[in-house]
Amino acid sequence: MRKQSTPRSDTSRSGDHALAQQTRTRRLSGSGRQRFRRRRGNALRAGLAVVAGRTAGALSRRLHLGGGTSIAGIVAQQMYPGIISHLATQLAHGSVIVTGTNGKTTTSGFIASIMRNEGMTVWHNKEGSNLMRGVASSLVIHSMPNGRLRRASSAISILEIDEATLPNIVQAITPRVVVFTNLFRDQLDRYGEVESVAAYWRRAINTLPDSSTLVLNADDPTTATIGENFGGKVLYFGVDDLSLNLPEQNTENKRHQVMDTRTCPRCGHDYVYDARFYSHMGHYHCPNCGLKRPQPDVRVVQMHTDSFDQQSIKIIMGSGPASEEHELTVPLPGLYNVYNAMAAITAAHALDVSWEPIVQGIQNSKPVFGRGESLETNGKFIRLLLAKNPTGFNEVMRTLFYDGDNKHVLFVLNDNIADGQDISWIWDVDFEQAVGKTRTLITAGTRALDLALRFKYAGVEQDKIIVVPPAPLKAENVEARARGRALNRVRRKREAAAQTHEPDGGQALSYGLKQALDLALDQTPAGETLFVIPTYTALLEIHRDLEQRGVAPHYWEGKDA
Amino acid sequence: MTQDSVKPFTLTLGHLYPEQLNLYGDRGNIMTLRRRCQQRGIALRVVGLGIGDALAPDEYDMLFIGGGQDKEQAPVAQDLYEMKGIGLWAAIEDDMPVLAVCGGYQLLSHYYRPAEGPDMRGLGVIDAWTIHKGSHVARCIGNVAITWNGMTLVGFENHGGRTYLGSAKPLGKVLKGYGNNAEDHTEGAIYRNTFGTYLHGSLLPKNPHFADYLISLAIQRKYGQELLDTTDSDMGESNGTVHSQISNSVAVASTQTDETLEILAPLDDTLEWEAHASMLERLGLYSAANAVLRRSKD
Repeated sequence: MRKQSTPRSDTSRSGDHALAQQTRTRRLSGSGRQRFRRRRGNALRAGLAVVAGRTAGALSRRLHLGGGTSIAGIVAQQMYPGIISHLATQLAHGSVIVTGTNGKTTTSGFIASIMRNEGMTVWHNKEGSNLMRGVASSLVIHSMPNGRLRRASSAISILEIDEATLPNIVQAITPRVVVFTNLFRDQLDRYGEVESVAAYWRRAINTLPDSSTLVLNADDPTTATIGENFGGKVLYFGVDDLSLNLPEQNTENKRHQVMDTRTCPRCGHDYVYDARFYSHMGHYHCPNCGLKRPQPDVRVVQMHTDSFDQQSIKIIMGSGPASEEHELTVPLPGLYNVYNAMAAITAAHALDVSWEPIVQGIQNSKPVFGRGESLETNGKFIRLLLAKNPTGFNEVMRTLFYDGDNKHVLFVLNDNIADGQDISWIWDVDFEQAVGKTRTLITAGTRALDLALRFKYAGVEQDKIIVVPPAPLKAENVEARARGRALNRVRRKREAAAQTHEPDGGQALSYGLKQALDLALDQTPAGETLFVIPTYTALLEIHRDLEQRGVAPHYWEGKDA
Repeated sequence: MTQDSVKPFTLTLGHLYPEQLNLYGDRGNIMTLRRRCQQRGIALRVVGLGIGDALAPDEYDMLFIGGGQDKEQAPVAQDLYEMKGIGLWAAIEDDMPVLAVCGGYQLLSHYYRPAEGPDMRGLGVIDAWTIHKGSHVARCIGNVAITWNGMTLVGFENHGGRTYLGSAKPLGKVLKGYGNNAEDHTEGAIYRNTFGTYLHGSLLPKNPHFADYLISLAIQRKYGQELLDTTDSDMGESNGTVHSQISNSVAVASTQTDETLEILAPLDDTLEWEAHASMLERLGLYSAANAVLRRSKD
């Protein structure tokens, strides 16, 4: 391969470019033998890309630079930009794409579990790697040096895709099914407004062939309408159990509900809700132009919460005489996970999977990384409940405080790029739900102080909130601070003494996530549960810490690495 | 004079377009005003003003208008002009404290010129205009700190449009961040007691001094004049029916001296100032953070 004279920083790109140029020239010459050589050339490149990517991934893991979940993909894509389509076309059972604001990971976990029960080999991209490079990684690490995907003849790939990456991924992969879980306001500084994400999705759908099937949430007005102009098959899922309708609150609270879609996309008139389950999810219609919630193909007609993570549901699939009624248990907390299960069931239905593997797949699936994950240490339990946006937080708290018991809770709010740097949304979350329902309330993370302030304004007494910021203020006058936190310290010492368990540095104020976790565990008596509600990067930090303590499995273990 | 005599103060806050312009945690501003009033025994009533509602200026003592999605901003702009324009204009000219954040700030200036399509007309009470220079120009996104009144304000900004000031005074000078247009270091605008700003985050919780300033402006505007008068009989005519409703409840308050009006009772804002200072430190403004902590101690 001859390199052109280009700036040094761009050598690998220009290399690809030169090769692409060469390939194009060959295509123009048009002989069959040359075409064969090109294909072999691609196989060779794919093989090289696989070897390079897997080596990089293994090195990164060996050197403890992380799980190596995206480095393999980055390297492989550098070697061969077409690596994703090259490998994906080998999948005998094709690909399923899952996207949406909340529930991507859990839904794709459910689908993967169902497909394994159906006897397929599932290649599944891992947590946090839902951009192009993550997809590339997931395929590369399951490929052989000859550029062939392992067990391709029985394989299906379940790909969890970032909302904004969808248009790119459907360029590389033609999915059999695309699942859209929901669309909520999330990271305004990163994704932009709800409308711009919907526009991304419509653009992606426009490029899909009619052979693909869309699985859409009927109860989410924006998600339900993105398939309007799609020529292929569309399946909807939704909730028909009207007892789940939120009680009508006074007007002021209603106004403050986090509803990210309020108006009809066709005529701009406000939607009217006959029933609302959470945020803007429910039975809506537009009184002006008549646009209304589509009749779902898979619907939950009854839901009952047996325990925190045990929801019994009755489901009806299809309509008319061909409809089937089934019962199953969703082994995860909250209504939002029932929606995730429905999305997965509908996707499986679209892939003609029969009921038995579906029910087995859902009921036997374990909570995925930080989404209701349960851990145990020294006779205490830790429950990780990821919450990344207003609706996520509201639903996690609604689920957490569903019974009257007061809980031990550690909230961790980070504002790193992957969390969204704008944390204004905490003022839209109903933290009022937590008032008087916590025995321990600790705020930590890069914005621990902001979150503490939010709790103060929610009506939690200041001395009930333990604030653990990442570091002390530099400019701080020690005396002023000591006075400010004196109440907390006294309380902490008293409780520590009561448990005859002096925490490390009991005199000093606590800083950093590690200390926050120590403190939270100290406050949680044996046999009880500490609920940790972190934002995305906070979850990664907490999980890493728990891994180092030997409490949690390494996140690339126990999955399909 | 007893503490009880402060109680009868009542304020009405008009919250414009709570359903359309609520994108950036605007609820935090309302909660802050409410709580800070409540703790001083001032009853704050919040009234939502949606599309189609008229704005009668004498029914309110303060107004708040937030920011929203582009899609929702267009019908709001029309309604603001047609339904609330005259009332809002009268309120502003009559020195009512008005806080306009982000989209609300743009709506109170002359116009918003999008990258494509026609200009969106604003109310024009703030002499400023906003131009979106197209998608190739990066949005102004990030944490921001500005000077205000010898102190600092901190918040988060996220706007595509660049705002340029005519005769309007800026709210403050940008210490870190973009501000109005990322060019002239100005942020926000002031016209009489109307404050336009790009700072959300929410703005008021971490800037308690600014929240109190707005409340004291409203108190002074509503009760200051009245309390100076020995009798309030001549006020009845100018304030119409609303006044008679209030006058009963402020009968005790009218014995207040002017001094108590100047200063709202101080609250324990340790946490607020720590959060404020911590943001200043993150932006590298250590001496400003120091000043904040020192002042909060006094």
